[in-house]
Amino acid sequence: MELTLFIIVGAIAVLSAVLMLISQNAVHSALFLVLNFACIAFFYLMLSASFLAMVQIVVYAGAIMVLFLFVIMLLGAERLLPERNPRFPWLVPMAIVLALVFLVAVSLAVIRGEIDLSERASAQPYIRVVNVVDQLEGGADVYLDGHRLVSGLEYGQASQFAPWDRGRYDVALYKAGADPSAEEPLATIKVDLNQGEAVSFTAVGTAADPVLVVANEDLRGASRSDALRVTVVNGVRAAPMIDVVRGTDASEDAVLINDLPYGEASRPTTISGGMTDISVFSEGVRRDRLVTFENRDLSPEQGQLWVFGTRYLPDNSYEDVFHVLETNALPSFGSPASVGLALFARYVLPMEMVALVLLVAMIGALILTKDMVGERRVVRRRLANPPPELQAPITPEATASRTTIEG
Amino acid sequence: MEAPEVATELFVLLSAILFALGTLGVLLRRNAILVFMSIELMLNAANLALAAFARQWGNLDGQVLIFFVMTIAAAEVAIGLALIVAIFRTKKSINIDELHLFKH
Repeated sequence: MELTLFIIVGAIAVLSAVLMLISQNAVHSALFLVLNFACIAFFYLMLSASFLAMVQIVVYAGAIMVLFLFVIMLLGAERLLPERNPRFPWLVPMAIVLALVFLVAVSLAVIRGEIDLSERASAQPYIRVVNVVDQLEGGADVYLDGHRLVSGLEYGQASQFAPWDRGRYDVALYKAGADPSAEEPLATIKVDLNQGEAVSFTAVGTAADPVLVVANEDLRGASRSDALRVTVVNGVRAAPMIDVVRGTDASEDAVLINDLPYGEASRPTTISGGMTDISVFSEGVRRDRLVTFENRDLSPEQGQLWVFGTRYLPDNSYEDVFHVLETNALPSFGSPASVGLALFARYVLPMEMVALVLLVAMIGALILTKDMVGERRVVRRRLANPPPELQAPITPEATASRTTIEG
Repeated sequence: MEAPEVATELFVLLSAILFALGTLGVLLRRNAILVFMSIELMLNAANLALAAFARQWGNLDGQVLIFFVMTIAAAEVAIGLALIVAIFRTKKSINIDELHLFKH
């Protein structure tokens, strides 16, 4: 289906380019070029560059082509003179041969596979650390193969998502300020970071026996606008397995997550948003409700990480806690948000230089056309107040009388 | 990200065809405005290849570069058309074969 569309639109693009080249009327050429630009905007959509497709339509097919048409009509150049006696008669066959050679070279490179297209890559993995270990003094330090990811991360806090290279890593949890070369880590885990993943290293459990959980979140944005994606981590030490249920009673259709062992993370699950109660049940048996968290507002179009944990109170009892960490879904590839983020984060300096070039272009256009403005003023003055002998006769009678007088 | 149905090679081929057509226009047409339009066509062909490779590698840099190319193209068109208008005022022609002399 997509291939058929590609062939049809590609044929239109090539045809409009050819017609632009051979049409004798410059206005027709400009309109064929607009058609060609529209086809290219369509290809941008196919290549998941939605922002660029809109910019192509607005800037290229809109602003730039209007400028072209304006100049064509201003100069009255739409009717082209026949191109007589070319100065280089050998130029036409030469140009065609050169273009064909170029095409054959590129096609050969593509067909013989000289372009390395073996590996399709997506975005880098993103990682962060979440600390839900109660009573860990000073917070947590987390090292990834000896590189410190965070230091002194407080209870209930999460670090920002950071891009990281893919690969296999050892993740180690230390007490804040510990020396990783001298001390034994409190907990370790091995993790494979793959392209396009968003991974939260979640530390749960007690200070004496913490556990690191690798929670793989899905931040690509939910497929429906009223839905959100949830990853659940079980950090309730008293419950070897939990079920997470929407509402307060454990009817089968409201179960969100089934049989999640302690110290593990669920897969990302899409649920619908809105105000709701969230209950946690002990495994399988629906009679044992651990806790209900009432009136949770699940705002849609987010990725959420739910961490159920236990917190000890000063009087030696404990309560179940429910941490919700919200992440706005990462902008999808080629969306306005992602292009804007790249422009204003990594490409600020080139952006400013381009703005400077545009300013210079504006000034240049003014200077280039400045002389003409002066000429036109002189002409207007002369026309407004011409000497009497230069005044043109207006009516045929006047012309006749003038000729008789002169004759 | 689901696998694309249209291969990157096809986009590169199409972009090469459009680029060659643009080159032909620059070399063969004698009207300065049409030469400019052909340059726009070539820039667009290059942009198409950039977008195809940006998708191939999952890297936004290609798309950002397209954005810059579009901006530069706008600046180039402004200057170029101003030049054409200025030349037309003095020589009453925009045939580039007649612009080979600095005098008259």
